[in-house]
Order: sequence, then structure tokens, then C-alpha cells
Amino acid sequence: MGYYSSLLQRKFKDVVGKRYETVLREYGEFLLTKEEMVVPEIESVLLPLDAFATGIPDELVDVLSAYNATVSLTYIVDAQVYSLLTKTLDRDTTEEFRRKKEEHGRQLLDAISRRLENSGMTVRTRLFIGQKGDDVVQMAEEYDMIALSKRYGGGETETSSISPLALRICQRLSIPAVIY
Amino acid sequence: MNGVALIAIVVFLLTYILIIDERIHRAVAAMAGAAVVVFLGIVPWDSLLEHLDLGTIFLLMGMMIIVNTARNSGLFEYIAIRTAKFAKGSPILILVFFMLVTAVVSAFLDNVTTVLLLTPMLLYVASLMKLNPIPFLVAEIFASNIGGAATLIGDPPNIMIASSAGLSFNEFILNLGPIAAVDMVILVGLMYLLYGRTMKVTPEERQVLVKTLNGLDERAAIRDMALFRKSVIVILFVVFLFFIHDDIGAILHTVLPFVDPAMTLEPAEVALIGAALILFWSREAPEMIFEKVEWPALFFFGGLFVIVGALVETGVIAEIATFMISNVSTTGEAMIIITWFAAFASAIVDNIPLTAAMIPLIHDMSGTMDVYPLWWALSLGACLGGNGSAIAASANVVVLGIAEREGIAISFIDFLKLGMLVLVITVAVGLGILWMMYVV
Repeated sequence: MGYYSSLLQRKFKDVVGKRYETVLREYGEFLLTKEEMVVPEIESVLLPLDAFATGIPDELVDVLSAYNATVSLTYIVDAQVYSLLTKTLDRDTTEEFRRKKEEHGRQLLDAISRRLENSGMTVRTRLFIGQKGDDVVQMAEEYDMIALSKRYGGGETETSSISPLALRICQRLSIPAVIY
Repeated sequence: MNGVALIAIVVFLLTYILIIDERIHRAVAAMAGAAVVVFLGIVPWDSLLEHLDLGTIFLLMGMMIIVNTARNSGLFEYIAIRTAKFAKGSPILILVFFMLVTAVVSAFLDNVTTVLLLTPMLLYVASLMKLNPIPFLVAEIFASNIGGAATLIGDPPNIMIASSAGLSFNEFILNLGPIAAVDMVILVGLMYLLYGRTMKVTPEERQVLVKTLNGLDERAAIRDMALFRKSVIVILFVVFLFFIHDDIGAILHTVLPFVDPAMTLEPAEVALIGAALILFWSREAPEMIFEKVEWPALFFFGGLFVIVGALVETGVIAEIATFMISNVSTTGEAMIIITWFAAFASAIVDNIPLTAAMIPLIHDMSGTMDVYPLWWALSLGACLGGNGSAIAASANVVVLGIAEREGIAISFIDFLKLGMLVLVITVAVGLGILWMMYVV
């Protein structure tokens, strides 16, 4: 370190003291760091939907559009509910339930798919009956990132703003997650 | 010259060398020098109290309390984000807006705090634009020093001059405000000429910048909305009081007949009233705010006053003044000498100790010539001389120190070349305006 550099740092220390560290900490609360500004390589995003997670906010669309990734919208009809209905109701009623659920799912997938495509994203859709928690965690392994609704699976309360199922999925994920 | 005077000169020079080198904290160097002259009886207790300019020390203290309380609200970060957003992604506009905001804020609040809080935002915006941050940083330094020159409270040399010469806030605005305004226009033009061509971003980069900046929520920077509002109100009130501090008695007398119409408020009193008001109204913990008062800076000033007081007591200043008077026949000549000497000496010594030494000299010249214009000459030289080198003013040290910590090196010589160019142009223009006001 040359004389000028050490002189400057001595004078800086005497004039500023520890205030610069405080200023940096305060700015750090709302400015992105260099590392945070680098958009990670995300090529595929899993976006699970169900009867509880029926919409996506504009902020999520903005975030997803930053990645230029393929978004897979996946609607899962709860197999456990379907199985219970099969055991307790007649076949026609059960089929009616499944048909309505799938129709709702299709409409939801189409609506969100259109919205994302309008923002320039490539979208794939999928609908099936399955175990929401296990299937989402298993599918997530094939994606670079997951965007999960806090209401996924339902059951959020006044004291807990995130549903128990969404929380459990987050605990088991090994990829980055955006919770909305 | 007797032995005592020689000791006072040696202490003065040694202290100034220590201040320039800063291996020992400047406050400690000044206090140690003061201790020597007090210990040797060169400055006895009664004189010490005379030489300690409490007007300067209390004004600085009051403004430090106001600024540090306001800082807790996130006011400066709010201003920084709003400024960045206002430029809508144009590098030139960012440069110009940050220069103007820095100049205006520096004119009314502490330069060090201003640049300390604006520089990280400037670096952030420059990194988003992928542009060389050096033009933005040097422009901020120059704007801070020029803006600070405009008012009584803008720069420590002005505070010291006003306190010692009894000059009012409005006199500073009338005499130095126009100079600062003209110099700012010149500086903007100069920065554009020097760096305008290099400040280009592609439409895509501009879009990313606008998107990122729009994503910043200036309201998120406000940590305490109630304190934010109170801070803005108190700062505006204090600035208003500064404008009327010389006529406060006449104004109050119209509503409160018992108030003496001849009463005035010293700038230091205004600052302390503002400090009391913001502490009382904000309910911020006073011990936390008092902790943030820059006591080393206040002791630095105190020490300097005593060391310079030793030169006064031993007649050294009077001898220099006599020499000056015998070689300078008119106020105009004295203006030229003081302005240029103060400007170039500030670039070497740091403008605060330089001003402390020059003030008693001008006082001593008052017997033979009109020194009123000389105060403006000193202020002009000392404040704008701060642009001359990397260590000439505190704002320079803060910005360049931050830059170095962030890996942006601006060499002493590189800064000197640009700083001297700005110094010569702005001081020449300022001196020209003063010349027209007082000599022609």
C-alpha cells in the first residue's frame, strides 16, 4: 500500500469513524448486492396449482420473466380425496367430481398459461390425480426452480400464513423456491 | 522575534504537519499542540477562552445533533433513491441530478454526512449502468465543495469565518450564493465536456437500470415515517431561522412587544435551538444521538483555535499582517492574494486549519483597510480550494476513501490534475464576481 493510499485510509478513518459500516448495513436492507444482482441460470420452473392456489401475482410474473425459462404449470387433483370419494360415494358421483375438478384445473391452467405466454414465456401444462406433497417434491428434482403458492394444499390459518403442505414441501426441496 | 514566538511557530508547524500526515488522529495532534502552548503559558486561561471560538463549536454541535437525528429516519437514503429514479436511466442526468442534490444538501447540511450517504447509492447506480464510477465520484466531490461554499453553514471554513467576523447567513447567500450557482453551471458543463461521450448505455442496459431502480422502494428506506416528517419540518424551520436570524428581534417584536427589536440570534444559537427542538419533538434517546456527535471534530477545532491563539498572543500574526499591509496597497490586491493563497494552501493543508490561521490575520489587517471583502475572498479560496487535491477537504477524503474500499482507485495525481483545473476555473470565476461586487 503506497503512502497516498495509507494516508487516505487514515484520514478516512479519522473523519468517518465507523459510520460507513452503519451506512452500508442500512443500504444493504434494500439494495441488492452484486451476488444478488446476478440472475442465476434457471431454464425450467415448476409451478404447482390446485383448488387453493388459483392465481399468481404480477410480481411473480415479473420474477419468472427475468429468467427466460420454460414454466411447467402442474395441476394435481388430490388422490386421497378422490380415493375417499370412491369408497363412500357411487361411481357416477365420483366421476362427476373428477370431471368437475379436471375441468376447473384445465380452465385454471389455460388462464395462467395465457398470462405467462403474453409475458413472453414458454409454458407447458400438465394435469393429473396424485399425492400433492410427494409428487411435487419428486417432480421438483427435474427442475431448476419451483414457484409455490403459500396457499397450496389449503389449511393456512390466521396465525400461520403458509399452508402446512406448502411448508412441508419447502422443507424437503433441494432446489431454489419462490414462495408467493 | 523572541523565543516564545519561535516556540509558538514550531508548535504550529509541527501540528500542521501531523494533521497533514494524520498518523496521529488530527484531534489528538491539535489537542497535543494546544496542550504544549497552554503548558508553557503562551496562551493563559483567560486568553484561551477568548481564542476558543464557541460560535463555531456550538454551531457544528447543533447541526451534528440535527443531522444525526434526521439520519435515523432514513431521510438521506430516501433522497438518494428519489434522485436515482428521477434520472430515468440516463447516465448524464444521473450525473447532473446527483451533483445538484449534493450541492443543495451540502449547502444546508454537513458535507461529510451528505457524501457519506449519497456515495454508496451513486456507486450502486454506476455498477447497474456498467459505467466507470470515477466521473460520478469526482463530480460529487466538486459539487459538495461548491455547494458548501454557498452558505454560512455549508462548510466549516464558512462557519469559522462567520463566527469570527460576525457575518450573517443572508450575507453569505448574497455574496457567495451567486458564485456557487455560476460555478455549479460551469462544473456541469465541464463534467459534460470531459465525460459526456463516455457515458453511453445501450437501450437494453437502460431498460434494466430503470427496471431495477423502479424496483427500489424509497419508502422502504424510511425507517421511521413520523421521525422523517419531523426531521424535514425541523430542518426547514432551522433553515428559515437562519434566513431571519439577524432580524429575529424586529420580527418577534411585531407579535411579542416585549422582545427587543434589536435582538439577533447567533447562527450557533439557531443550530442549538433546532437541536433542542428535534430532540424534544422526536423523543429519540438523547444519549444515542449525543454518542453520534463527532466529538473528535469538535476537539480538533478547539485545539486549532488554541494553537492559532498562541500565534496571536506572541504577535506572530500581527507581524505577518504588518508585512502584508506594507506590501499590499489596496483591498483589491489583498483579495487576490488571500483568495489564491487560501485556495492553493487549502489544497495542501486541508481548508479547516488553513482558515483557522487566516482569520486572525485578516482581523489584524482591519486597522488599515476595509477587510469586509477579504472575508469573502478567504471563504471563496478555502471552500473552493478544497477541490484542489484528494486531501484538501473532508468530502474528498470520504468519497475517495469509500471508492478505494470498493476497489476503485483514483490516484493522487489523477485527482490533482482534475481538481486543480476545477479549482483554478471556479476560483477565478468567483474572484471575478467578487471583484465586480467590491472593486469595480
